[in-house]
Formats: sequence, structure tokens, C-alpha cells
Amino acid sequence: MTRNSLSVRQRNTGLIATAAAAVIFITPFLYIFFMAMKTKKEAALFLFSWPREWHFWSNLTEVIMARNYMLLLAYMNSTLITVGAVTLLILFGAMVGYILQRRPSGWNRLIYAGVLVGLMVPPAVVPTIWVLQGLHLFKTLQGMVLIQVAYGLAFSVLLYRSFIATIPRDLDEAAIIDGAKPLQIFVKVILPLLRPVTVTLIVVQSIAIFNDFTNPLYYLPGKENVTVQLTLFNFQSQFQSQFNLLFMNILLVTIPPLIVFVFFNRQIVAGMTAGAVKG
Amino acid sequence: MKQRPSPYPYWFVLPAAVVFVTLFLVPTVASFWFSMTRWDLFTAEFIGWDNYRQFFKEPFLVQGLVNTLIYAFVTSATKSVLGLLLAVLLTSGILWQGFLRSVVFFPVLVSTIGVGITFQALMHPTKGVINLALSWVGIDGPSWLSDPGLALYSVAFIDLWKGVGLATLIYIAGLAAISPDYYEAARIDGATRIQQFWRVTLPLVRPATVTVITLSLIGGLRSFDIIWATTRGGPGFSSDVLASVIYKQYQAGFYGLATAGNVILFLLIAIIILPLTWWFSSREVDL
Amino acid sequence: MAGVVLKSLKKSFGAVEVIKGIDLEVKAGEFCVFVGPSGCGKSTLLRIIAGLEQATAGEIWIDGREVTGAEPSDRGIAMVFQSYALYPHLTVRENIGFGLSLARLPKDQIRARVDAAAAALQLGPLMDRKPKALSGGQRQRVAIGRAIVRDPKVFLFDEPLSNLDAALRAQMRIELTDLHRRLGATMIYVTHDQIEAMTMADKIVVLNAGRIEQVGTPMQLYNHPATPFVAGFIGSPKMNLFTGETARALGCTTYGIRPEHLALSPTAGTWQGKVRHIEHLGADTVIYLDVPSLGELVARVAGEMAADRGDMLWASPMPGREFRFD
Ligand SMILES: Nc1ncnc2c1ncn2[C@@H]1O[C@H](COP(=O)(O)OP(=O)(O)OP(=O)(O)O)[C@@H](O)[C@H]1O
Ligand SMILES: [Mg+2]
Repeated sequence: MTRNSLSVRQRNTGLIATAAAAVIFITPFLYIFFMAMKTKKEAALFLFSWPREWHFWSNLTEVIMARNYMLLLAYMNSTLITVGAVTLLILFGAMVGYILQRRPSGWNRLIYAGVLVGLMVPPAVVPTIWVLQGLHLFKTLQGMVLIQVAYGLAFSVLLYRSFIATIPRDLDEAAIIDGAKPLQIFVKVILPLLRPVTVTLIVVQSIAIFNDFTNPLYYLPGKENVTVQLTLFNFQSQFQSQFNLLFMNILLVTIPPLIVFVFFNRQIVAGMTAGAVKG
Repeated sequence: MKQRPSPYPYWFVLPAAVVFVTLFLVPTVASFWFSMTRWDLFTAEFIGWDNYRQFFKEPFLVQGLVNTLIYAFVTSATKSVLGLLLAVLLTSGILWQGFLRSVVFFPVLVSTIGVGITFQALMHPTKGVINLALSWVGIDGPSWLSDPGLALYSVAFIDLWKGVGLATLIYIAGLAAISPDYYEAARIDGATRIQQFWRVTLPLVRPATVTVITLSLIGGLRSFDIIWATTRGGPGFSSDVLASVIYKQYQAGFYGLATAGNVILFLLIAIIILPLTWWFSSREVDL
Repeated sequence: MAGVVLKSLKKSFGAVEVIKGIDLEVKAGEFCVFVGPSGCGKSTLLRIIAGLEQATAGEIWIDGREVTGAEPSDRGIAMVFQSYALYPHLTVRENIGFGLSLARLPKDQIRARVDAAAAALQLGPLMDRKPKALSGGQRQRVAIGRAIVRDPKVFLFDEPLSNLDAALRAQMRIELTDLHRRLGATMIYVTHDQIEAMTMADKIVVLNAGRIEQVGTPMQLYNHPATPFVAGFIGSPKMNLFTGETARALGCTTYGIRPEHLALSPTAGTWQGKVRHIEHLGADTVIYLDVPSLGELVARVAGEMAADRGDMLWASPMPGREFRFD
């Protein structure tokens, strides 16, 4: 059995599996796509059917202009939050993962415990709102960014820590002898070597934060602060009779992950399966 | 002798620690106190265990608790079993394997709200595509999301649809780490394909199983957005879980009660996950 | 003026004392080799001199200045690692110039010094490659180049040749000796390969379990080992060493005789034994004898030796070559 010559059985299983997967996993996406193209009247029928008339542009502009261009504002907010949070997550995650991996013990037990807590414990939402209010960060984009950093940190730290374990300590020591200060070792020697895992983290965390619904729901209420997922949720009740527009909106939030997936498939897989093999 | 400073100074941790401690640890610790108060975010009045008592007395709150367990168990079990089967299928060298992997995985990356709304339409009792398809084969499809006895399981199904790709992906990585030598040795010993699965694949893919079960259990216990996007805990309270109860209490202004729910969720996860992790690691096979 | 002086140096990792009090003087311009069995603390000692580890007690002086608490980069040392530790993301040129650019030297000065170091090591055509695109020997040279360019008073090497194959190792031994002669700098070199120790060293320091066993020139150690440990450590094959009853019968607590200092004869001698194994190395022959009164006895004779397994042979120690330790 080699890779390029498939047995009859393999081909048949493949065909059946492909057919099943197509029905189960692709139909909903086709459905979204078709619905997004239909007229208001046709969409209300909920049928899985080829659109009789294609209303791509009109539906698109209508969704975008709805509620005074709320979707554009939402995209801008979501982008700002994602970019801000991911930048900090990369920087903080790499710094903590580095210390966690390089320092022998002491405080590191505590840091490691914090990481595990961050991975498992569900955030206490109302007390968090209370803290955010005290810091005047409630209902602000900055607050949302910091929340995403706090919640995403554990994963980033773990990923960086296991990657940094593969960088020999001799490199740090060579740099020390060359006269590098701690920050220079990190910035000039370690950081450039973290590229692969950083790309993975950027992709995985961006998708997670962009898709996040729960946290903006709690910490970022209010019209000026809408995010993409919140807008979609709110349109659900507003577009009760305009399913074509609702699905156009779904289409619009599905396309960014699709593009990222096409270009960064490998990195996403690496990030999502990190730790799967070694516990 | 004077200690020279380490080349790995702890201040590197400081910015991250400040954010994590203020926005994660402080609220978590504070939640134990606030869960024992009647609280409006400004003044908190200590009322002891009242919130907890209420949580275990009010039928709809109890139902939320039970539903959480059912939901976490059902999604975790189905994801691990189906994930493994799909992974075996998608590593067996079938036609269009790479494409199929992508297709199965892609829903993981899609907005939960979008998926929820789409399935609301697909599961519509009269006009939905699913029941339409069932009626072709003579089955009168149920009201997936509005039947109180079914809603929770329908949501679990949507969760499975969206999440099984991650389980599959983790299992694929786990399977890839198994050396083909084991299969050849088993074949030489005369093991059938089924025997190979039970005797070789299943024990050796254990680390992936541990990851999948742990991740999907934690995810299932904390699950909120998919439920909120499809049923909002309804009809009635039939598909409410802890996370949606917490949100509802929060919306209603019962901050102390919501926080008590949070503490219960936290304890529930700890009670389930910690022994599980311990059990998994105590049975670790060293290869 | 001394190169490196160590005064009652001690180092513990937690409760374990790894370096147990070392006093040593390495003269300026000397090529000093630390040898000893694995785990005896060679690397630790070298890293303490470099400043990568901090001594628990004692003092380190380099070029007449106490550097015990100084930063590694302020000690006037350079180090070549066993793994070479080249920065994978930098080119050869950037690797060699890294320390200079950290010190914010002007660009043209960096360039000149890097080029000079590269010329000394024939690295010219490799300057714009990344370490991944170099062979083991070339990486080794870049690592040395990175050390040279800092113009240090003391070079520290930790088993720099152990990742190379035998032929390249022989060549690099010569190149390093050459380099030492040209630069005239103090070099401290850790190895567990006694050929490297014997061929390169002006002075060998034999370490055992965190202590200095003996210090001397290669020939001093060979001819006058102070302890059975040193006797057994220097020379190949290992010196025959006997203790207990056997040694007491020969009038000491430990009796030693080098394989090359045994004369063999089919007819007469001190000890008779049966040949158990023979290794024909071409230039000489190593013979393993089973001697009833001693146990195993190894002998080395020049040239070929016509003997077979099971033959009976007589072995006699050459006069004045026996060692008796008490
Ligand atoms: N960071 C450390 N923490 C604890 N123990 C250490 C540490 N570094 C070295 N040791 C211990 O100190 C002892 C000496 O180690 P060292 O690396 O100096 O030996 P070595 O002579 O260089 O051996 P080799 O020839 O194998 O390189 C060893 O027993 C080692 O286990
Ligand atoms: Mg060593």
C-alpha cells in the first residue's frame, strides 16, 4: 500500500466519506452562501436552493449600511481589539515562557500554577466587571484588549515555553560572554528564533479573539463599542424578517477565518495540536 | 558572596503578571466573597450561604446544573468517539484525504454565533432543511430547538458539528506519532484490522485521548455562546446551563447570585477535571 | 604576571558540592588542559572562570585583577562551546561581530576586525552564510573566530572538538596549537580525550571528583604520576594497576606498570600468563594475558608479535619503570 496507488476499497471509502462529509459539513456553508444571495422573500422560505435572483451587491450594501454603518464600526472595533490583544499576547507570552523555561525554580512554581489556573478556571465575570469599573476600563476597548490578554496568556505561555525548550541555553551563554544584557539576549537572540511559533500564535489567537462573543457581551456593552460577533447577534432579532441580510452578515464573518485558514493551514494545525502528543 | 543578577530577570514576567493578577486572579478570589453577598456592584451586603442555598433549591437553577453535566458529558463523549473514528478514517490514505480534513476542521474556526443562527434555520420545525429532508424518507421531524425534551441535545449536536474537527485534528496528530513498526509487528503476529485498532491504536493514542477529553469537558462545562445563540436556555429553562444561568442572573441584576453560580461552575470544573487529570497521569504508560 | 589564578574555589549546586576547593595558577600565554572523568567538574570549573556560574567560595583573578564578581563580558575572556552555540539567525559575519556590535563599536571598525579574524581562519568565502549551511569544521572555525575577534586575554574551550570526526579532530588540534602560538594568549581547554591533552598542553590539570589530582607537563604526568588515579588516567592502554594482596606481595598498596613497559618472552620472565586476546594495531600489538598470581595484565609491544590465543608467555617489568604507590 503506497500513498499514490489507492486500493479499490480505499477509493470507495473515500468516495462515501467525501459524500457524507459534503452533506454534513459543507451543506451548512452552501446554505449560508445561497441565503445571503437571495431576495428577502425567497430567503424567508428557508430552502436549500439555488437563488432565483442573485442579490449579492444589494444585500451586501444593505447590511453594511444597516443601523448607520454599524458593521463597519464593528469590524474596526474587532480589528483594534484583535491587533492590540494579539500584540501584547505575543510579547508577554514570549517573555513569561522564556523566564519560565530558563529559570530553574523558585518563583517559577508559582508562575506555572498561575498558568494552569488560567487554562482551567472559568473567569468570574461579575467581579471582573467590578474590577474593570474600578479601573475605569469597563466598556472600553482598552479594557477589552487587556481582558483578552489575561484570558489568552496561559495558552501563549505554554506554547512559547515548550518551543523555547528546544533553543539551546549555550546560545544565551554565548551572548552573555559577548556582553549582551538580559533584554538584549531576549530581543537579539531568542526573539528572532521564535518566528514559527509566533506565526502560529498570531493566527490561532486572532481567530479566537475575533470570534469571541461572550467576553464582549459582558465587558463591552453599548452601541459605540460593538464587535463583529455582537453585531451579528443583535442583527438576529433586528433582521427577523430579512434572513438574506442576516445570512449575508454571517457570510461576512465567515470569510476572514476562511482566508486565514487557506493561507495558514499548517500553523493553525500546529497550534491546535500543540501538546496533543506529549500530554 | 554577593549574588550577581540572573540573566533571566523576573521583571520580564511583571507586565503579564500585572494584567493576569488584576483581571483574572483578583476577580476569581473576590468571587468567593461576593458570592456570599447581595450585591449591586457598589454595596455588598453579607448574606452567608443564601445564594448557594437558593442555587440548590430553585428548580430552574438546579436544572441548569444538571443540564451542564449532561451537556458536557454528551459533547465530550461524542467528540472523542467520533473524533477518533474520523481521525482513523482520515489517516488511512483515502481519496481526497487532505481536503476532507480541512472540511471537517473548518467549522472550528467559524463564528459560533453564525453557526448558531444557521442551525436555527436548518432546524426550523416546519421550514428547516433537516426536517424537509426527513419528510422525504417519511419521517416527521421533531421541533429540534423548541421541544423542551430535545433542545439541549440539539444544541449539543450543533456543538459536536462545530467542534469535532478539533478532536479529529488532535487525534490525527496523535496517530501520526505512532510508529508504523507497531502495526507491522501486529500484522506479523496475525492481528486483524479490528484487533490492531483495539490493541495498538487505542492504547498508543492515549495522550491525544486525554487531551481531547480534558479539553472538551472543560469546554462543555463552560459552554455559553452556542446555547445563547440558539435557544437562550429555552424553551423555559430546558436548555439552560450554568453559564447561561449566570448571564441571566447578571442581566437581572442579581450579581451575588450570578457570582455564586460562577463559583459553583469553578468548583464543578475542579471536581471533575482534577481527579480526571490525576487518574490519567497515574496510568501513564511510559514508552 | 599570571594569566589566571584560582584561590580555594568552591562550588555547590544545592547540597551537592561539585568543586571542592581548587587552587591553581595558569601562567600568561600557557596552554592549560583540564582533564578528568565525566562529571568530575571540568565544565563547571571552566564556567566559573567564564563567569557563567558563580563560585560558592574562593577568588578568581585574571591578568592580575580580581574578577570573582565581574560580569562574563568584563573578564577579558572568550569561550568556545562544545555545541559551538552559533546564533542560527545571523550570518557568519554577524555571528563574529555580534559582541562588537553590542559594544557599539563603529561599523567600519567592526568590519575591519571581523575581516581580520576571518582571514586568520580562512573563513573568507563563508561570511554571508548562515550557520546551518556550514560543515562541522567550518562551524568550529566560526566559533573560534567569534572568540578571537574579542581579543581576549584568556580563551576558554569546553570540549570543542568532540563533535568532529577523527580526521578533522587531528587537523583542528594542529590548527589550535598553531593559533595558540600565533596569538600567544592564555588558553584553558577542557577535554576528556587524553590525546588532546598530551599533544596540545603546556600544562595538564587532572581533576577528580571536584579536586585537583595533579598538575604538570604531559611528560611529568606520564613519568611521575602522583597518584594511582593519575597513573591510570594518563596513557593508553591504561596502566596495569594492582591493589590488595597482590600489591602487598610486591611491597606497596598500589602497584602499577604501563603496558608499554612490559617485556614479553616465550621462555623466561617475572610472570607467566596465558594469552586471552590479541589486538594487532599495525605499528604495535596489544596483548591481554591471564596471569594466575595477578589477574589480567595488558602489554604493548612495538611492531608485530607472533603469538596466538592460548599461548603461554612471560612478562617482565622494565627496570625503573615500575610505580609503587602507598
Ligand atoms: N546546573 C547544575 N545543577 C546541578 N548539578 C549540576 C549542574 N551542572 C553540573 N552539575 C553536576 O556537577 C557535576 C560536574 O558537572 P560538569 O558538567 O562540570 O562535569 P564535566 O567534568 O564537565 O563532565 P563531562 O566530561 O561529562 O562534560 C556533575 O555531577 C553534574 O551532574
Ligand atoms: Mg563537561
